[in-house]
Amino acid sequence: MTLHPAIHLLHLAVLRTASLLIPRHQRAEWWREWSSELWHVRQARAPHREISIPVEREIAEFCFGAFQDARCLRAQSGRIRLPRATTMGSATQCLLLLAGIVAASLVVAVSLPGVREQFDQLRYRVAPSSIVLIRSVHSTDDSAPTISADQFRLWKGRRQQLFKDFAYYQVVKEFEWKETSAHSTINVAHASANLFQLLRLPIQFAGPDANIKANLSGTIPEVILSHTLWEREFNADPQIAGQTVHVGKHIAVVAGVAPKGSWRFPGKIDAWLLQPDSAMSSSHDGIVIAEMSPSSLQEKFGDHWRMTAPTPDGTPDDFLCLALAERTYSSFGIFLFAVIIAFLALPATTSLPLGEYRIGLQKLSWPTRFRRWTFLSGKFALLLPVVYLVSIDLAHLRPSLDQDTSDYIQLICSFSICLFGLRWALRDQRQRCPVCLGKLTHPARVGQPSRSFLAWNGTELMCMGGHGLLHVPEMPTSWFSTQRWLYLDPSWQVLFADSALTSAYF
Amino acid sequence: MVPEAKLSHTAALILQAVSAGCLYGFSVMEMTGLPSGTVYPAMRRLERDEFIRSQWEQQFIADAEQRPPRKYYKLTRTGKLALESSRKRYPLLTKLIPIPEEERV
Repeated sequence: MTLHPAIHLLHLAVLRTASLLIPRHQRAEWWREWSSELWHVRQARAPHREISIPVEREIAEFCFGAFQDARCLRAQSGRIRLPRATTMGSATQCLLLLAGIVAASLVVAVSLPGVREQFDQLRYRVAPSSIVLIRSVHSTDDSAPTISADQFRLWKGRRQQLFKDFAYYQVVKEFEWKETSAHSTINVAHASANLFQLLRLPIQFAGPDANIKANLSGTIPEVILSHTLWEREFNADPQIAGQTVHVGKHIAVVAGVAPKGSWRFPGKIDAWLLQPDSAMSSSHDGIVIAEMSPSSLQEKFGDHWRMTAPTPDGTPDDFLCLALAERTYSSFGIFLFAVIIAFLALPATTSLPLGEYRIGLQKLSWPTRFRRWTFLSGKFALLLPVVYLVSIDLAHLRPSLDQDTSDYIQLICSFSICLFGLRWALRDQRQRCPVCLGKLTHPARVGQPSRSFLAWNGTELMCMGGHGLLHVPEMPTSWFSTQRWLYLDPSWQVLFADSALTSAYF
Repeated sequence: MVPEAKLSHTAALILQAVSAGCLYGFSVMEMTGLPSGTVYPAMRRLERDEFIRSQWEQQFIADAEQRPPRKYYKLTRTGKLALESSRKRYPLLTKLIPIPEEERV
């Protein structure tokens, strides 16, 4: 009968599956009894190993009855589950709460336009480190246009050793051309043709033969639309490239669309009108961006440095060069900086040890210790997205705030939330049972401050699973400076509601 | 003084079966006609409440008979007293599962 071993293995597999439903600390015992009984059931029903449908059905019923055993057992253990006070403070609930905060702050984040823009910016690299912004030293605002078009043309026309190339743009507020109304305004950047190439910015929907420089000699200039303007005014038409459109008071051919979040430089711009350098208006100041030549090492200049350069009237003047990579902070960069500062500040605000657990000879098992550290790591891991998302939500809650203000708000919020979050994570860990990770309850005052030299005084907390007591001294002394954990042996289990799981952790 | 045991009919039936010499789970199932999903958890509860006591058979005995060791159940003193009071409550117990003569004396 070759079928017999296969059927027996099948029965064992059913029993093994059922045993997985049994609580772990009882599983081995149940599996042993079931498998033993299975042998005797078969022996009683088919002593000569004959195979018949009624016998096999009866044995199968025995095996599937194991699932009912397991269900019944789980129902029993469920009835003696932890009381509500402890369940509310379980490790799983703590992690679920943090995950809920992450989810809620993510929902808020995607509903705020400013945050969505920040997320879009994360997809693009900041300008290379060789790119610098040049402004007059007489201005204190990095974003303010301070360089005249004549100055730009002078620099570009001269042979340079320090710089490889220059790009320039002037932001002009113009009325938006509409057939129905002409009341709204847009910000049009009159830019040199090499601006996007110098900044390494991508352009969407640019045709295969599109060469931004190529058409400059023509009568119609080219324009690159911002993603917002393209969506708002052109219904996100993917065939927009090559079409002649009105942008402000100009007629231009669309060269492409700047992807959402790709522009992270001074000025909020709706369209970039690409013009020859000679066409730049001398009546407006603009912003000069320069690429340093490979031979000039940026490291020796630092993030910002002064230079003296000739002006169109022949006199030298001072200018400030700012590394654009340093200036264009991403929200993630601010978050990382704040987190590092918060981690450094943490030891100054709270004690780092998780508690002194020296009383008693009983040692925690490796899986229990691993579980404890995994829980702490999980809290930290969930805390970081909470810090990032909540801080960026707060920073962009009001759309009217400018980028610098938002960055400052994000920095302060990230630091504060991270520092207090880390403090909470450590404090919460210290107030949990090291065995079952349940929140300790029933605080009781022990001792008197006046008897500190004779006995300790402080607070005693209790694990509802009966794993032990935590003694937290109110007044640290040389012999009792930090909290101590007192393990309770299994003989105490009868006093506690959830004693069924106690032995499983040791 | 033994507290008054309030056993369900199923629990009393299992105790009666163990008392009648059905010393392991499968034989209790056979005697009572209860399914495995009822008998084993009920026996666990009876054991937890100290009405019965279980013991694994010695390995060498099972090895000698070329079979896996069995888990045997036995009534405790509390179990015997509880069964006595249950018999008064459920008079048909002894008719459903009669006790062998040698057990009675």
